[in-house]
Amino acid sequence: MELRQASSVTDLDGGLPLHGGTEVVPLIKAGILRPGELVDIRGVVPRGIDGTRIGAGTSLAELEASDRIPEALREACRLAASPQLRNMGSLAGNLLQATRCWYWRLAWPCRLHGGDECFAREGEHREHAIVANDFCASAHPSDVAAALLALDATVVTTTRELPLAELYRLPTAADRSTTTLEAGELILHVDVPQPDASTYLKAMERKRWAFPIVGVAAARSGSTTRVALAGVAPVPWLLEGSLDDATPLPRNAYKLDIARALVARATAALG
Amino acid sequence: MARLIRTEKEVEGRYEEVWLVVEEDALEQWPSGPREIVGRPATRIDGLERARGEAVYTADLKLPGMLHTAVLRSPFAHARVVRIDLAGALASPGVHAAIGPEDISQLEEECGFQGAAVAAVCADTFAQARAAVAAIDVEWEQLDVLLDPDEAIARGEQLDEPRVRTRGDYEQGLADADVVLEGEFRTQVVLHNSLETHQSVVQWVGDTLEVYISTQYIWGIRDEVAKGIGIPADKVRVICHYMGGGFGSKNSPDDYTFIAIELAKRTHRPVRCALTRREENIATGNRNATIQRLTIGAKSDGTLTALGGEYVNAVGWSGWVAPTEGPMQLLYSCPNVKTTTWGAKINQPPMKAFRAPGFVEGTFGVESLLDELAAKLDLDPLELRRKNYAHHDAADERPFSGKSLMECYRRAEPHWDRRLEVRSRSTETVKRGVGLASQIWYGGGGPPSYAWIRVGSDGRATVVTAMQDIGTGTKTAMAQIAAEELGIPLEHVTVSLGDSARGPYAAISAGSSTTPSMGPAVRAAAADAKRQIIEIAAQRYHLEERVLDLRGGTVVSADGNLSTPLEEVVGLLDDAQILGKGARGPNPTGMQVLTFGVQVAEVAVDIETGEIWVERIAAVHDIGRVINPLGASSQIEGGIIQGIGHTLSEERLHDPKTGRILTTGLDAYKLPTFADVPEIVSELVDEPDGHLTNLGSKGLGEPPIVPTAAAIANAIRDATGADVRQLPISREEMLRALREAEQRTAEKEKRGAPAGV
Amino acid sequence: MPELEVNGHHYEIHAEVGESLADTLRDDLGLTGTKVACDEGHCGACTVLVDGVPTLSCITLLHAVDGASVTTIEGLREHPMVHAFVRADAMQCGFCTPGQIVSAVSLVEANRDPSTDDIRHAMAGNLCRCGAYPKIEEAIRTWRG
Repeated sequence: MELRQASSVTDLDGGLPLHGGTEVVPLIKAGILRPGELVDIRGVVPRGIDGTRIGAGTSLAELEASDRIPEALREACRLAASPQLRNMGSLAGNLLQATRCWYWRLAWPCRLHGGDECFAREGEHREHAIVANDFCASAHPSDVAAALLALDATVVTTTRELPLAELYRLPTAADRSTTTLEAGELILHVDVPQPDASTYLKAMERKRWAFPIVGVAAARSGSTTRVALAGVAPVPWLLEGSLDDATPLPRNAYKLDIARALVARATAALG
Repeated sequence: MARLIRTEKEVEGRYEEVWLVVEEDALEQWPSGPREIVGRPATRIDGLERARGEAVYTADLKLPGMLHTAVLRSPFAHARVVRIDLAGALASPGVHAAIGPEDISQLEEECGFQGAAVAAVCADTFAQARAAVAAIDVEWEQLDVLLDPDEAIARGEQLDEPRVRTRGDYEQGLADADVVLEGEFRTQVVLHNSLETHQSVVQWVGDTLEVYISTQYIWGIRDEVAKGIGIPADKVRVICHYMGGGFGSKNSPDDYTFIAIELAKRTHRPVRCALTRREENIATGNRNATIQRLTIGAKSDGTLTALGGEYVNAVGWSGWVAPTEGPMQLLYSCPNVKTTTWGAKINQPPMKAFRAPGFVEGTFGVESLLDELAAKLDLDPLELRRKNYAHHDAADERPFSGKSLMECYRRAEPHWDRRLEVRSRSTETVKRGVGLASQIWYGGGGPPSYAWIRVGSDGRATVVTAMQDIGTGTKTAMAQIAAEELGIPLEHVTVSLGDSARGPYAAISAGSSTTPSMGPAVRAAAADAKRQIIEIAAQRYHLEERVLDLRGGTVVSADGNLSTPLEEVVGLLDDAQILGKGARGPNPTGMQVLTFGVQVAEVAVDIETGEIWVERIAAVHDIGRVINPLGASSQIEGGIIQGIGHTLSEERLHDPKTGRILTTGLDAYKLPTFADVPEIVSELVDEPDGHLTNLGSKGLGEPPIVPTAAAIANAIRDATGADVRQLPISREEMLRALREAEQRTAEKEKRGAPAGV
Repeated sequence: MPELEVNGHHYEIHAEVGESLADTLRDDLGLTGTKVACDEGHCGACTVLVDGVPTLSCITLLHAVDGASVTTIEGLREHPMVHAFVRADAMQCGFCTPGQIVSAVSLVEANRDPSTDDIRHAMAGNLCRCGAYPKIEEAIRTWRG
């Protein structure tokens, strides 16, 4: 394995981008990622907050401390991961993190790894998806993505601008990836409109340093309210309508109860 | 005089009859209450080296030429090695040796659980060893897995004969009851997760094997290693100066030590075998899951008439059947009790002792059901417990050596009296309540244990004993006891431990036994040294021994005419030293030595999301005399916090089809964090157990974790009316219990409603 | 070849890409005060300051911090926080303690009088299996003696 500094944001050249390393390094250690080359992009990816534009390299700790960003995003950052991980991890890295599905993390040959079985559906799935879980029951763990989805953020990459929702895709038999990012494409900025009100509520099995069982972000701009959830689907989930169409598995129906309660609270909190 | 006795020896609730040579415990106990040093708070004598990162743990040891080991472990819960070829590993870069099932008995072809060791490789670096393990060619035959403990019992897959314990007439007791309650309780598999993983570094020095190991029992390692490889025990030297947590899981050498020994023999190099966190969470033991089907019968005034328990311990592939029935047998004075405890042999990693094994699980069951009874009979839960107070050990018909549980209850009253105020702070969605649970457990320690003390001409003392301090602060407690008895300042005492070649036999640090086993031996050694100092002073100053004493580092006479620094007396010795020797005397004959306590928990429950906040826990325990109140409060807090993890967030999960473990990392396996800790108030009764040794002290390592889960569950019932029956009380379990309670209320209302409505 | 400033000393380190900063500190530089307990970034035992920021050294690649200034527990041995931990009995087995102290020092350097909530939030990434948390909190509240 080699490691080099990127000379520009278009200089990946087949290498695996490395920023905070909080996801990439453990996955290398676990043998799930086996890159030939790591490209350190910290010198070239923008960092910091400029009006409504946030550099993709901004750390979660910096966002947590900022009073210039919407409350939902700040709270999502505050409740994400651990202090050290927030110091190290970048905004874009958080958006691109993989599921915490134990089967996936333990490299079982599941659908997300290209196999032909979702072990969680028939197996141990209490922390797994309750919607869009037909093909793969993994749950997307990003608090920050849910917040940005509710805030209707736009992602600016090296090649395009897209609504955050379009950064994600549900895995299919033909394509197992959960993002639409092309090879060599890097996230540079996230534009986050300032809502009239926003909030993020998170249910977890301990008070800090846990991935969401359910995270609910809500943002209101004028008469429009957007609600998005973390931990309920293989991708960050924008709630359109109600949760009545959810398809919980035998051991995770409780997540639906929590999601309903938090959605009601989050929307009520917006006034 | 040495005395040979036949006695019962108890460790972690397991008894065996053994021959013991004991010495008489001739010292009178000190009067109760704090002394000059004993009974007063002391900071850790080794705190600075731990805090500064200077303490060398087994994990930090680097011997010249040391090789690193990786172990091939069964990836399957049940499988057989059909063929194994180590050639690929031996040809890998940096590899010095590889061993397989042919080579040592700890490597197996038949693997009854995921994580069973099959082969091992040592190399210059751990990364090389790991790569080489991946190059081992193995053909597996996967076998059927048996995972359901009830099914295992039904099929006769049991680790032991079912343990049946009865007293009185259980059926008659049920018939005599005004009310009978039944409940099924389940507890999960909990992982020790000591932050220093299991590991050894071994090297051969001549014909002596040196074993550096993260262990709770230096002498047990020495014996097991010597027997395991067939060399005399005095050719095995075991060293552990600092260790990073054990909680019951580090009492034996295990596969990794024997692997390192064999590889060291083959390579003539020092060899480290250290487990990774993921191996740790599969292959080093656990608190086994239990299923508890309990019955309680009582008169309408709360007098218990019958207690019955069918306990299934999901032990795993091997291990022992922990006393899950113990609390039901021992806590109350109920005349009719019948318990049966089964040990299910299933394709899961073997259990190991984990901080009060059996009693933590069993207390959750019986103390929860007792509160359900209190609710049913509309009795005060604390009064119900007092009403059924056990004044003697009814299970074995013998007196307690000392029991101040009633005093614990009395001191818990101010905490218990907070419940109206706590409940009144409930809101529409967040309900608050208070619950309590009693604690009973062993912790008396026992012989043999020995200590030496040397006092130099500078008047400073060193306690020498080959015990280990697993983080509980026993090293500091020993220094306090020595300083107290000798009459010298605490700062003048050092403690040399952690090396089987440099000190006499010392007890295991398990079963809350270190302080009650070692403390009396240290005091006896100090008394022996002090006696010699007084003898010397008497001759030097031409006074009678009986008028002399040693206090605050000064030799004084009763009339006050002599007051001379200790250094002046022992200074006569020049380089020579006073040597004191002490041994642990026997436990009181025919008595049950136990620890007791009560905890009162305050919780808040969000009834819509199932979130639980443990807001406050008050703990009052009776462990006899307290040596170090500061260290003791730390033990109580630590036990309660581990108990909170056990109650709310920790659970080892396995795949239900294959039995493979899913929670191997500290992301998926959720230990309590800083933010999960409630306000903790602790108090100790601090009355010496008048029958127990020259100290009257019992151990405190385990008692505080015993009642925490039940106290929390009972507080949840008080807050919400919901009966939680399963650990951990995850959101899922909390919401299930709330729904059940809601249905119960609805049905009751329906029944109570007039016809036609 | 990566270079590091560790506790004020300059080092050049021969290592393959992929070596963690924790392994460099412990194995190459002999600074074993930094502990590795999970090796996956979950427990905080390996916390060191990288350019002043609490960082998990077990999931930090040495080559990614080339040129950085690193402070380990060995560089904080004279810090009043060390004595505060001893005074408050803020440790049991002691294996997580160096990481706890590094995080605690960083907290009080930024916020000299942290509240209970501040402490619980800032220290949540340092797991202590022995449960010394209440005493650690006390040590941080009383760190100036």
